[in-house]
Order: sequence, then structure tokens, then C-alpha cells
Amino acid sequence: MKVLEIKNLKKKFGEKVVLKDISLQIKEGEVVSIIGPSGSGKSTLLRCATFLEKMDAGELSYSEKNIIHSKHGRAIYPHSKELRKVCENFGLVFQDFNLFPHYSVLKNIVDAPISVEKRKKEEVYEEARALLKKVGLEDKENAYPSQLSGGQKQRVAIARAMAMRPKMLYFDEPTSALDPELTAEILKLIKQLAAEKMTMVIVTHEIDFARAVSDRVIFMDEGVIVEEGKPEDVIDNPSNERTREFLKKLSY
Amino acid sequence: MRKKLNRYALLFCFVLSFFLLPLITPVWEKIQAEKSDTTLVVGFDAEFPPYGYKDENGDYVGYDLDLAQEVCKRQGWTLVKQPIEWNSKDMELNSGTIDCIWNGFTVNGREDEYTWTVPYVDNSQVIIVRNDSDITELSHLENKIVAVQSDSSALAAFTGEGATEENLALCTSFKELQQIGDYNSAFMNLESGMVDAIGMDIGVAKYQVESRGETFRILETRVSTEQYAVGFKLGNTKLRDQVQDTLKEMVEDGTFMKISKKWDLEDCVCLGEQLGITEESTGEETESEAVLDNPKNEKEENQDTNTPKGNKSDILPVVKQLGEGMVATLSIFFLTLVFALPLGLLIAFARMSRYRILNWISGIYISIMRGTPLMLQLLVVFFGPYYFSQYINTFLPEQYMITVNLSNSYRFLAVIIGFSLNYAAYFAEIYRAGIQGVPKGQREAALVLGYSRTQTFVKIIFPQMLKRIMPPVTNEVITLVKDTSLAFALAYTEMFTLAKQISAAQTSIMPLFVAGVFYYVFNFIVAFVMKRIEKKMEYFQ
Ligand SMILES: Nc1ncnc2c1ncn2[C@@H]1O[C@H](COP(=O)(O)OP(=O)(O)OP(=O)(O)O)[C@@H](O)[C@H]1O
Ligand SMILES: [Mg+2]
Repeated sequence: MKVLEIKNLKKKFGEKVVLKDISLQIKEGEVVSIIGPSGSGKSTLLRCATFLEKMDAGELSYSEKNIIHSKHGRAIYPHSKELRKVCENFGLVFQDFNLFPHYSVLKNIVDAPISVEKRKKEEVYEEARALLKKVGLEDKENAYPSQLSGGQKQRVAIARAMAMRPKMLYFDEPTSALDPELTAEILKLIKQLAAEKMTMVIVTHEIDFARAVSDRVIFMDEGVIVEEGKPEDVIDNPSNERTREFLKKLSY
Repeated sequence: MRKKLNRYALLFCFVLSFFLLPLITPVWEKIQAEKSDTTLVVGFDAEFPPYGYKDENGDYVGYDLDLAQEVCKRQGWTLVKQPIEWNSKDMELNSGTIDCIWNGFTVNGREDEYTWTVPYVDNSQVIIVRNDSDITELSHLENKIVAVQSDSSALAAFTGEGATEENLALCTSFKELQQIGDYNSAFMNLESGMVDAIGMDIGVAKYQVESRGETFRILETRVSTEQYAVGFKLGNTKLRDQVQDTLKEMVEDGTFMKISKKWDLEDCVCLGEQLGITEESTGEETESEAVLDNPKNEKEENQDTNTPKGNKSDILPVVKQLGEGMVATLSIFFLTLVFALPLGLLIAFARMSRYRILNWISGIYISIMRGTPLMLQLLVVFFGPYYFSQYINTFLPEQYMITVNLSNSYRFLAVIIGFSLNYAAYFAEIYRAGIQGVPKGQREAALVLGYSRTQTFVKIIFPQMLKRIMPPVTNEVITLVKDTSLAFALAYTEMFTLAKQISAAQTSIMPLFVAGVFYYVFNFIVAFVMKRIEKKMEYFQ
């Protein structure tokens, strides 16, 4: 089953074409890493897939249900209420966490399931505590975000995304705001999720991590998917010149 | 789409109704007023003893008010004593918020501007100096600073159209002719040497010099002679005749003279003369009955002091009287916040809206509200509907003309509307900065979690905005406490206006100090409460 399918996505900012013609499929249980130089459009791709940016043309389906279709070369969006409902399909973990500072750790996790999904309180709280335990923060449920380290914040952000029971998770450079020691704890957590067969799309600059965790690696440059395939092919034995150059620069 | 349109339409109507309120209310109140046509609203300057002022019990009293009271009694009307801001007297009269000006109101030079009764007081303009001053004649005023009340008869005597050659020459010889808002501050200026002399009506001068004791004296030579009468809106001869006939009756049966004696003004009244009646002199025994609260009598009782207000230095009664003004100040304060805080949020939304037109309107609104004086805005809200309708009428055929008659009770409403509209603009900008200061990642995180736009604002953005805006809001709120005193522009008697009136009546600046302490304490409490709220939100960053 395809959790996500994007066809011929095009995105412009003003006159600047940022995504040229992106097509992408993510299967259930698959872990896909997206790598590429700065400005190549990786974040924009995730933002289009999560409806934070509007794409100009192309089609998009979640769980094989068409959401955005194409008409006369233009992307047609459903009503915003319907679009909001589709958000149940995925979670997004940001580079800079974006926890709600006025909510405690527990409230950050339970608020959306209760007030958006209208799920039962007791059940949500129970699940949230289980999630906190899983990310190793069961003793922090009453802390406020400002009292946490960067790594702890990111673990809460992951728990918050998981609490919505998404079919897939997006990560946009989840560790680039973190110190190396803290990076390790987040990567470990993501690896654990991968082992549990969570479907994930991860934009990252951590090549070793991408190699270890991914089923598939996508290399993007200048708004197009230049190369994709198994990590041992794309990372260790790239066929494209641009990919080779990028990886060479990265290894310095 | 249609639903959204509805929501915006509703919002628009809400804002619009706020602007229309001042237009609708007067009409409605006019309907009310016509039902009870038996009140006489007398406009007067409450800092103008002995004609009209506030006594130590906090009541408006005075010679003119006594006369008006007697007229009303005989006509079966209810007297409404409405203190007004002297500079706005014409607007008050024209817009119908008062029926007449009865307040030592000088006829000379204004003959064609009002419909007048015959004069009842012949008054003269005199110069008051400090007792220790070496000024004894008018010519000594050369190179001196002379104070007069703005738009007063004294000012007219020196600079008005009807001023004599000598007075004009005299005036140019002054170092400066200073206009001062009220007599009380004029005396403070004189006492402290900031001005060398004050020009004023003789009746007022006598009262002031008497009550302030040995400190001042009146120059022998008079600057000019003039007459007082009751002024009505031009053309309102019906009401004028009713009042004048009653006054005539009062002259004939001696009541007029009795009241004049009570106020020690028998030397300058001239109504009988004017009407060609020889006045009956009232006997001594009747006089003593009529003068129970005669200031002169009180003076005799208070042997130990040369001021007629024996309790001048008593703080407690002053505080008690100011309490009433404090209530007025508090209601302006709280009602303004109640309306301005939410209205500001609506304006902030309009300012940030995707719709150009809303952006544009709210931008202009904010710029006008912040770019013009609040006092001017208050005047526009209060008098605007009347003058606007007058202007419109110049384009309309007669049968479609609108008559807007502002009622007196619109005064308070106008104060609240004026303040709310003004403060809403300031709050709107504070909200906007607060909302825009919340990192955009917060909104995005909420959207991805499926929060609706409303939920995102209410649950995520608003609390964070609130924390950000507390310091600037505190500043605005403290400014509001002090700004409430601007209500004097519409002659709404809040605490500061009241303090000025009491200060004028008691010829003492103590009430002003007490008012200052009130404001300070009020602001102290406001600052304390705001600090507590800020503390409450310190749990997050
Ligand atoms: N809101 C925006 N308005 C205009 N241009 C934008 C906007 N967002 C991104 N861009 C441009 O689009 C291009 C792609 O940006 P994007 O953030 O997707 O790159 P990225 O691959 O995520 O880079 P990085 O590795 O630095 O995060 C860049 O050239 C960027 O300047
Ligand atoms: Mg990026």
C-alpha cells in the first residue's frame, strides 16, 4: 500500500522555480531519507506534502486516496476543512521543535488528540504517558518546554507527532539544531521507530545515519530528484556526477 | 465560502454600529426628550462664583442658578444644572445639549449671536493685583503680564471687536496678555508672581478678593462696563419670552432683589431699571430668612478667618466630594477598557487580514486615531453628529432635512465612545505586534496537528501574544487613567474637573493635590495588578 504518492509536483516562489517536477511514492513501513545541498528544495517538498505550502501543479494522494488533483495543469485543493482532516495521516517533526511554550510536556502531547480528534481523555493521557516513557521522559510530564534541553524538546516533539497515530512521519533535519551528543539520542529514537516499521521520510545531513536507517535514499538538487535507490547504491556508489560531488563535499 | 462571507459581514456590522451609535442615540434620545418637555437645562461654568460654582457640600450653587431655580419653580419645570466647558458653549447650545447659557454671560459684543433676555446685571471689568504690588492705576500695567480667562469679557474688553481705543492701547502696552483657563489658576499665577495682574468681572473680583483676604486688591479705575443677560440659541424667542416674563414677575414681587441681596450683588443688578419697574426694597426681616446660606453670613460666623469657606483646609469633605468624581473616572476607565480591548482585537484582525480593503480601512483608522489629539476626537464624537447633520442639510431639500438634537445624557456616552475608539487603535497596534511576534513555527505546528484556524488562534497564538503585550498594555492602561481627565472637554465631571471646581469654590489648591494623590494611588494599584498578571504568565517563556 502506498502511504503517499506525489505526481509531477511543481512549486514556484514568485518567479523562482523551487521544485521542478517531483514524483514520489512512499510505501507502508518504508523509511526514506532525502539528502541534497542547501536550497535544493527538500524542506519545500515536505512543506508541500504537509500543506504548509501550496503547490502550483501536480497531484497528491494519501493512503491511495486522491487529495489534490490536477486540472488544466493547476493543482486543485479541497476545502480547508477537508484538508485539515487529511492531516491525520501524517506527523511533522521540525528542526526547531516548535513545542507550545505555554503548555506542559504532557499537555503538548494530549491537546491535539483531545481537541482536534475528540478522543477520550483517559485513553489519550494513558497513551501519552506510554509515549513519554518510550522517548525516556516519563519524569518530565509536568515540565514546561523552556526547562528542557534541545534533545529532550525534540523527543517531546516526536511523541507529540506520534500521539496523533499518524500513518507516516516527516522529519525535517531533526538534529541540525542539536549538539552532537544530543543528536545521537534522537537518531537512536528514530532508528527504534524504524525497527517498529513506522513509515518515515527524513530530510537529513547525517549521511551515516541515512545509510543505516533508510530503505531508500533520494538525492535532490535544484528542485529535481537526481538519483534514488538503496543507500548502498546512492551513498556508496552514486551513479550521478552531482551526487558524487555533494557526498565528497560532505565528507570533508 | 458563503459562511465565511457571513462572518465578515457580521464583523463589519459590529464595527460599523460602533461608528453609527453616536448618530443613532441622539435621535433616540430626542424622542425620549420630547416626551418630557419640562426640563430647563442651564449651561454654566462651574468655576465662576458667585454666579455658578460648586459649594463645600458639593452642590452647584450661585446667583444665576438661584434665579434659574426660581424661574423653573414658577414655570413648573425641572432645572438641570449642566456645567459646561466654556470654550464649547456655542456647540452645546446649538446642538441642543443645553437650553440656555445663564452664567454672568456678557451681552456686549455678542448681541447678534444669541437671543437674549434683557440684561439683569450691569457688570464692569476691573483689574486685580497683589496687595503688595506698586500698581495703582491702569497706566502702571505697562510692561506687565496681565492674565484674563480665555474667551471672557475681560479678554473681549482688551482685544475684542468692541474694545475701546484706550483699552486696545493699554493692551498693547502690556508685556503679555495671558489667557488662563480658569480663575483659580489665574489666582495661583498672581499669588506666585507669574502674572502681575488679572482682569475680571467686578462681581467675581469682589467675591474672590473677599474670600482670599488681604492678599489682593481691586484697582479703582474700571477697564470697561458691561451687562449680563441670559443667552438662548439664536431664534429661540419662545423660551426666552417665557423666562423673561417670569423674571419680570420676580422683579415685581421683590424675589429678584431678595436673591440679588443674598449674593451681595444688589449694587450691580439692573433688571428692574431695564424693564422700567421701580423695585420694591425688601425689608430687613425677610432678608435674613432668605440668606440662610449667604456666604457673607458664614463669614461673620467664622470670626477667626477671613475666608468665607471655614472648612477650607479640611481634607475629609474634599475627599468625600471627590469620591463622586472618582466613580465617574472609574466608570470611564473600566468601560473604555471593556470596549477598547475587544474592539482593538477586531481592528488588529482587519489590519492583518488578507482582504486589501480591510487592511486599508483599518490602517487609515489607526493613523487618524493616533495622529490627532484625543480631545479633538472627543469633541467630534459629541458635537459631530449635530454639525454633520447641519452640513448634510445644506444639500437637502427642506422636507428631507434631518434634525439632530443632542441630548444631555449623550455626554457620558460620547466620552466612552471617544475614549474607546481612540484606545482601540492603540491596542490594535499592540495586538498586531504581539501576534506577529509569535514565531511562525507555532502556527505551522498547530496546523499540521490539525487545529482549525480559530483553535490555533485561541489556544496557541493568543496566550503567547498575551504574555508579549503585557508591558505595552500596562503603559496604555496607566496613560488611560490620566487621560480620563480629558473628559472635561465634554464637560463631563470626572474627578479632575471636580477637583478644579472645588478648588475654585474654596479658593484653595488643596483639592488638586488630593486629586493628584487619587490618580497616583489608582495608577499604583493598576501597576500592581498588571505586575501580578505578568507574574502569573511567567511559567512559560
Ligand atoms: N517562503 C519562501 N519564499 C521565497 N523563497 C523561498 C521560500 N522558502 C524557500 N524559498 C527558496 O526555495 C529554495 C528551496 O528552499 P528549501 O528550504 O526547500 O531548501 P532546502 O533544501 O530545505 O535547504 P536547506 O538544506 O538549507 O534546508 C531556496 O532557494 C529558498 O531560498
Ligand atoms: Mg530545509
